Amino acid sequence: MINKKTCAAALVAFAFSMPAVAEEPMNDLEIAHTAYTAGQIDIRYAHLALALSQNEDVRAFAATMVRDHTAVNDAAGALITELNVTPQDNGLSQALVKGAGEKVEELTGLRGKAFDCAYATNELGYHQVVNQTVEGKFIPNTTVEPLKELLTDALATFKQHEKHAENMVSSLKCS
Amino acid sequence: MLVKRTYTRRRAGALLGAGLAALFLSGAPRAGDAPRTHKIDIQKFKFAPAALTIKAGDSVEWTNHDIAPHTATHEEGSWDTGTLSRGESAALTFETPGTYSYFCAFHPQMTGTLTVEA
Repeated sequence: MINKKTCAAALVAFAFSMPAVAEEPMNDLEIAHTAYTAGQIDIRYAHLALALSQNEDVRAFAATMVRDHTAVNDAAGALITELNVTPQDNGLSQALVKGAGEKVEELTGLRGKAFDCAYATNELGYHQVVNQTVEGKFIPNTTVEPLKELLTDALATFKQHEKHAENMVSSLKCS
Repeated sequence: MLVKRTYTRRRAGALLGAGLAALFLSGAPRAGDAPRTHKIDIQKFKFAPAALTIKAGDSVEWTNHDIAPHTATHEEGSWDTGTLSRGESAALTFETPGTYSYFCAFHPQMTGTLTVEA
């Protein structure tokens, strides 16, 4: 399990620290695209958990992920419409999608506690890295004030998810 | 415990039609001060104020300012605001004295206490 946790964290960390991304700050449209993509990925993980997990706590967490990330992405969609802009696909978004596809494939083959632990551990690692990135890179680099406000509000939500995931990993006794 | 529920913004139509006010209406208005409506803000995953004392017959209105949907749900399940999206409010009126612990059903780490005095 430690190996899976390490792999999950490393995968996301890799995606968030690709050289091209690290060297060139992302623009507002790229940040918007990646933030939205990251939310959609977590919704995808959550739907998988709702389909495969029988654990009440895991299912409740997954339902919260669907509910909260949908609300954040709906707000992002409304802002995009209001500003009449088109988010810009980029290397980080593409790496996230690729990594998520591999993770979904891995999770799909698991059942029972193995699935619950893998999902919970991935959620913790995913939120840790996303939160660090949103706080340390996205918000400081965003120039459009409404987007900065949205990211700040979203970060408050994602930090709650990180704590919740941490508690879930602990209560599942995965290690 | 409840005499009525009132939801504002997008929820208003749904519950007015449910006739809950008439269903739960009971008891006479209390003597003295007129019933008040107290406001609790839900912001940054906290209820503010987290502890509130009211008089029997008063109402409490919760308003969600977060992007994430929230609820205010009695721990023992006897009352619930329902889901509150950002900008939505729900008001509940309390008739029965007591201390009521509540939480957000979606984010259980969010807790509050409501004390209803006779």
